[in-house]
Amino acid sequence: MDHGRWKNHRNEYRPIEWPLAATENEQPMKILRYIFCLQCFVAPCALLSAADTLAIKGAKIVTLAGDAIENGVIVIRDGKIEAVGANVSIPIEAHVIDATGKVVMPGFIDAHTSDGLNEANERNEVVPFLSVVDSINPVLDYFEESRRNGVTTAAIVPGNSTIIGGQAAILKTAGQYVDDMIVKRNAGIKISLRPASGTRMSQLARLRRELDKAKIASEKKNSGEETKPEATTPEAPKQADAPKPEGTPPEGGDTSTPSSATPTATDAENVAKGTEAMMAVVEGKLPVFLYCDTAMDVSAGKQLVEDYKLNAIFVLGRDCYKAAKLLSDRKQPVILDKNLVFWETNPRTRKDEKIILPKIYRDANVPFVFQTSEGSLRSATTSSSYLWYQAAIAVKYGTPEIEALKSLSLAPAQLLGIQDVVGSIEVGKDADLVVLTGDPLRLATWVDKTIIHGKVVYDRSTDQKLKRLLSPKAE
Amino acid sequence: MSVVQRADRKLVVMKVACFIFTALISVGSSIGDDAILIRAKHVLTMEGKILEPGAVLVRDGKIAVVAEGIEAQGAKVVDTEWLMPGLVNAATSFGIAGGTSEISSEVTPDFETSAAIDFQSRDLLEAIDEGITTAHVLPGTQSVFSGYSTIIKTSGSGANHSMPRILLPHHGLTVALSSDPTSFNRARSRPDSVFVRQPTNRMGVVWILRSSFHKTTQNLRASGFDENSQKILQDVLAGKLPVFTVSRKDVDIQSGFQLQDEFGFKPIIVGGDEVYRVMDAILERKPTIIYTAMINAANSRELRGTEGTERRFNVVGQLAVAEIPFCLAGEKLLDQARFATRFGLDRSVALESITSKSAKALQQDKSVGSIAVGKDADLLAFNGDPLEFTSSIQWTMVDGRIIETNTGR
Repeated sequence: MDHGRWKNHRNEYRPIEWPLAATENEQPMKILRYIFCLQCFVAPCALLSAADTLAIKGAKIVTLAGDAIENGVIVIRDGKIEAVGANVSIPIEAHVIDATGKVVMPGFIDAHTSDGLNEANERNEVVPFLSVVDSINPVLDYFEESRRNGVTTAAIVPGNSTIIGGQAAILKTAGQYVDDMIVKRNAGIKISLRPASGTRMSQLARLRRELDKAKIASEKKNSGEETKPEATTPEAPKQADAPKPEGTPPEGGDTSTPSSATPTATDAENVAKGTEAMMAVVEGKLPVFLYCDTAMDVSAGKQLVEDYKLNAIFVLGRDCYKAAKLLSDRKQPVILDKNLVFWETNPRTRKDEKIILPKIYRDANVPFVFQTSEGSLRSATTSSSYLWYQAAIAVKYGTPEIEALKSLSLAPAQLLGIQDVVGSIEVGKDADLVVLTGDPLRLATWVDKTIIHGKVVYDRSTDQKLKRLLSPKAE
Repeated sequence: MSVVQRADRKLVVMKVACFIFTALISVGSSIGDDAILIRAKHVLTMEGKILEPGAVLVRDGKIAVVAEGIEAQGAKVVDTEWLMPGLVNAATSFGIAGGTSEISSEVTPDFETSAAIDFQSRDLLEAIDEGITTAHVLPGTQSVFSGYSTIIKTSGSGANHSMPRILLPHHGLTVALSSDPTSFNRARSRPDSVFVRQPTNRMGVVWILRSSFHKTTQNLRASGFDENSQKILQDVLAGKLPVFTVSRKDVDIQSGFQLQDEFGFKPIIVGGDEVYRVMDAILERKPTIIYTAMINAANSRELRGTEGTERRFNVVGQLAVAEIPFCLAGEKLLDQARFATRFGLDRSVALESITSKSAKALQQDKSVGSIAVGKDADLLAFNGDPLEFTSSIQWTMVDGRIIETNTGR
């Protein structure tokens, strides 16, 4: 975890670097500039640390770790929650946010998204050595929209159009530099059961081959033998309509990809990284975001989990509801499709059916969390763009409100294994908070402030975009 | 009689009317077995009045009495939390079996959507489930003169409700005043293709409209029209038949206004995605706008881009402030009203823009769109405030018949 970096935003220090560019005969000048710069930038930093104590008072606090606290106080020091309760005294040095009449919740957590990535899917189909960290773009709208809608943490996961799609990362949604945002760098690996090319048979065969290799490598390592870098073969890029027959080595036509016949040094590095990640997968140390597209993938996925002792997070396509009962023995929540309610016509009876995912999974005793529409579908009226909207829909169809609220924060935190840092308002956790203008899930409720690590990263009163949206003017 | 006296009498009449409206009303023994008395904690009438509590007596598929309390012996009593009129979707293509557009010809004004609506279609089931009781079904826009639009009830008539319940088979003429009709037409496609036809560009669309109307004013037969369809153009020019122009971009809307100036008919705008760009003209002419861009906006960077919603929502607000007659139409009507409210539109205006304003845009406000005596008994029961995301429809009543909402599986 890289929390320490939060206090040291690089941009605060960066301007100090410029006198270094001065030429040699300007030495005295350079020193003067140094002193000047230090004064300019150290002084505000000192002020900042004095203001590092923050208190929020007057709000109803939905802690998700017990009953809600009416008219409570939260004290935040150095980005962490120091105290929370109804009778907590506010330290004299604290900067106070008066949230009287408002509701404070732990920041929402997006448990699975490929937004925030410049490209969701790698063209190569087996790329366990890649990490989304290299593709995350902090200035994408996704992050701005997240802060506006109270999402403070997001698991950014490669898309579903590969076999082994690379490593996911968990990030805070505010920051200029990806490194500053990271909560967990290697948060899991994406495995998709939807054929990337070819058939389901070949998809599973190739997947099993990779897992078998990793298992053998892991066993060798544990018995003291040296790991051979050949363990994972990076594959040729996806070819439009020519699925490669199993067992044939990839052709080395394209030397610009890591698939060339003679591996370069970078290839070896990648292979080693990939092997390491896959070994962690079969050793159960690295979670797998296991994407199931159809109901049949759920049973195949369960079999894989059993065979290879995977620590799996099930990411379910909308058709998977037909296999909901297969998942009822799992304690961890599943991640539902973004379309929570839809209609289907039974192909045999021609009967029209309304499918309500939250209801089906609840009836099958499967806990769940939500994901949102991605990319171009994201807009204010394609309502599944918002996590809170998804929770409201679940409530509409019978999920108790507190359960729906937990699925916005505590449940995904537990699912992602970051519940020690985020997910509820408890002493010692990160001060990632959402101040809402009223009760959660209500039509008129807006995110008033989003706080990450004790810093206000979104404030509705200064949100110019929203202001323009909310004040229609006749021209 | 002096002005003061007249005013006084008016006041007395109003007071008496108010008394009748709000008092506990007893209905005699003449009540039929099929009468239904609905009692709700909140009745949103869309007539500028909210009854808390309120009651509605339904008899023979019509609203018989509306009051704060009604005693009606023999009537089946149904209790609910919130009651509002059924939603009116003022522009949709749902229920049309097969394609919605005739692609082999640019001129099909006498084609009727009423002939193609499948009352067994899932669209209608979904519509009722979403609370829509009345719908204006427009043909698709691949032809310039697309055809007659139709106003239907979403629940059919007959014992199995499978018979069409068509209110007006020839409600209005749908005209595509946009680039839609050109989208597949290619001058150089195979000679036997249906797409070897005009228009291949937007100029052609306007030319076909102008030339057809011009010839009609000269008592000449417009190209592609026969005697029957020529009559439609005459009706339009005589102001007997409303024209719905499907226009999304600013140029499309402007072209509509030009045709209005040249030929005198007043088009009703369907779409209206870019009305914000021609607000001066809109304020001057105050056309009726059936706004469908809340969810499906025209494919422009301004509307689909990241700040697109900003413009789209502001349109509704601007129209409301400027008192332009408008309503919301298209998919997910309730969510449209909810989001419009969330983004600043007045609560009651938002609800009216999917009920009474829609009925008015379709000139059906005498029979649907609000809870008033004599209107069709089209009602929605909610378990909470209809504008809340967490509230759900318990049942939809169409013409006095309660249809329970699908609770899924």
